[in-house]
Amino acid sequence: MRSISERAAGTPRAPLAPSAARARRRRRVIAALTVLAAASLVAYLAVDIDFANERLLAFALRIRLPKAAAMLVAGTAIGASSIVFQSITGNTIVTPALLGMNSLYTLLHTVVFFFAGSSSILAVDGALTFAVDLAVMGTVSLLIYGRLFSRVGNSILYVLLIGTVLSSLFGSVQSTLVRVMDPNEYDALLATIVPGFSNLSWGIVLASAALLALTALALRRELALLDVITLGRDRAVNLGVDYDRVVRRLLLGVALATAAATALVGPLTFLGLVAANLARQLLKTYRHDQLVAASGLLAVAIIAAGQLVIEQVYTYAIPLSVFVNVFGGCYFLYLLLSSRKA
Amino acid sequence: MRASNLSKHYGTTPVVGSVDIELPRGRVISLIGPNGAGKSTVMGMLSRLIWPDGGEVTLEGRPLRSWNSTELSKRIAILTQQNNLDMKLTVRELVSFGRFPYSRTRLTREDHAIVERAIDYMELGPLAERFIDELSGGERQRAHIAMAIAQDTDYILLDEPTNNLDIYHATALMRTVRRLADELGRTVVVVLHEINYAAFYSDYVYALKDGAVAAKGTVEEVMRRDVLSKIYGVDFEIIRVKDRPLSLYY
Repeated sequence: MRSISERAAGTPRAPLAPSAARARRRRRVIAALTVLAAASLVAYLAVDIDFANERLLAFALRIRLPKAAAMLVAGTAIGASSIVFQSITGNTIVTPALLGMNSLYTLLHTVVFFFAGSSSILAVDGALTFAVDLAVMGTVSLLIYGRLFSRVGNSILYVLLIGTVLSSLFGSVQSTLVRVMDPNEYDALLATIVPGFSNLSWGIVLASAALLALTALALRRELALLDVITLGRDRAVNLGVDYDRVVRRLLLGVALATAAATALVGPLTFLGLVAANLARQLLKTYRHDQLVAASGLLAVAIIAAGQLVIEQVYTYAIPLSVFVNVFGGCYFLYLLLSSRKA
Repeated sequence: MRASNLSKHYGTTPVVGSVDIELPRGRVISLIGPNGAGKSTVMGMLSRLIWPDGGEVTLEGRPLRSWNSTELSKRIAILTQQNNLDMKLTVRELVSFGRFPYSRTRLTREDHAIVERAIDYMELGPLAERFIDELSGGERQRAHIAMAIAQDTDYILLDEPTNNLDIYHATALMRTVRRLADELGRTVVVVLHEINYAAFYSDYVYALKDGAVAAKGTVEEVMRRDVLSKIYGVDFEIIRVKDRPLSLYY
């Protein structure tokens, strides 16, 4: 983005630092982001804790540690999958939320509350809810993004269109249900579909982490090809990459990672957009190993810092999503306006 | 490398029908023709970016479909008109991608040397550290050709490479094309809009019209008043410069 503002100001193109200096700068940025993410997590864990009182300390950590772990897992998943999604769609202002997993999650919870009620085991048991969420979202991802993609001639644009249509379909069904719902049930529902870190257990966090690790492992070859994929279909095919297959598998991976993150903490629409674009702006590179790392770290830092502020300053008066979406919405507008200028 | 009986249709509209092309090694072959003649589609089928609906392309006697994709990318390089790159990539990094079929992203010392030679070939030395999206259209085009050169293939297919170039860079490019064939023995196929570049710099010319080969042969055989007039529907004069036919049209 700096290059854009520079040109807009009419500054002549200055000679750039040689690649070695640039690589060093990128490594420093990633190191700084690592420190930032770690500091945010530690701050979240340590703030306002009485270290002298061992029992209070143990109590606070028992609540906060799974939350911090969930931040780490969800942040990594959202940040990393957003970069991958942007690169395979060749568009830096999209987020995996376009795949419809967020609205499916909201719909799913509404359906449970509507038909089974807020006191049913499906709504009360955190582990069960998580398992059902993940199973449904995973199946839908496999069906839609695993199968459908090759049927529509591997056109990523169609996939985005389908995702958008699905999102509004899920959204309309959900709002219809909400309208005829018992208001008390709606109150209880709202607490679960707003992203947050209540209702967490180590089992859920570890299951998400395992799912993400398995996805990344299964896609390690495709992930290594991301740099070439970003060059576009023609260039990638020219370089001997089976573009359509790689993109299809990566898309499925993005859908699964989004599903895991959403099942864990709920729908955080703009977080991926913010993290991915900040990472691109800070690093100014095409190297995806670094972009993915930076984006994941940024997302973790934003979640941890945001949750810290919400718990300590606003005492839960504002949910994290409001925080992220207001900040993310403004950033999104800024991105749109500044890219228009270029 | 040869293509026999190639055809392609989009929906029910035939775009290319029964095209035969032969690419003799170490020569420059131009594809010319009016807009919509199917030049780029034929180019796409020669390079496997587009799979033909009928007929086939064979390389070293084997159909393209039976080749391993990485092996193909060591033999055929294609440069299309797809030129937009929405990423922070320097010229040197782009050219380095030409070595991807050989070394993936871990370039050897030899790869780096090849990359540097390709950069020099295209007069890109001073721009090597600049970002692609900060270059002019012509500079960007040269960077892409350098990448194709670094790919070190027997065949280089260039789809309208002179499109965004001024006269200096366009003629320099055509001279480079000539050198690739004469000095390095590469076979270069070029889609050209400018007939006289085809006449002056290539060995063979295929003229396409309405998805079929309307004329083919050596430059002398195709660069004739009656042949060109029929293909383009415009009056032509043929003059001779440096013992080569050049066309005038108005």
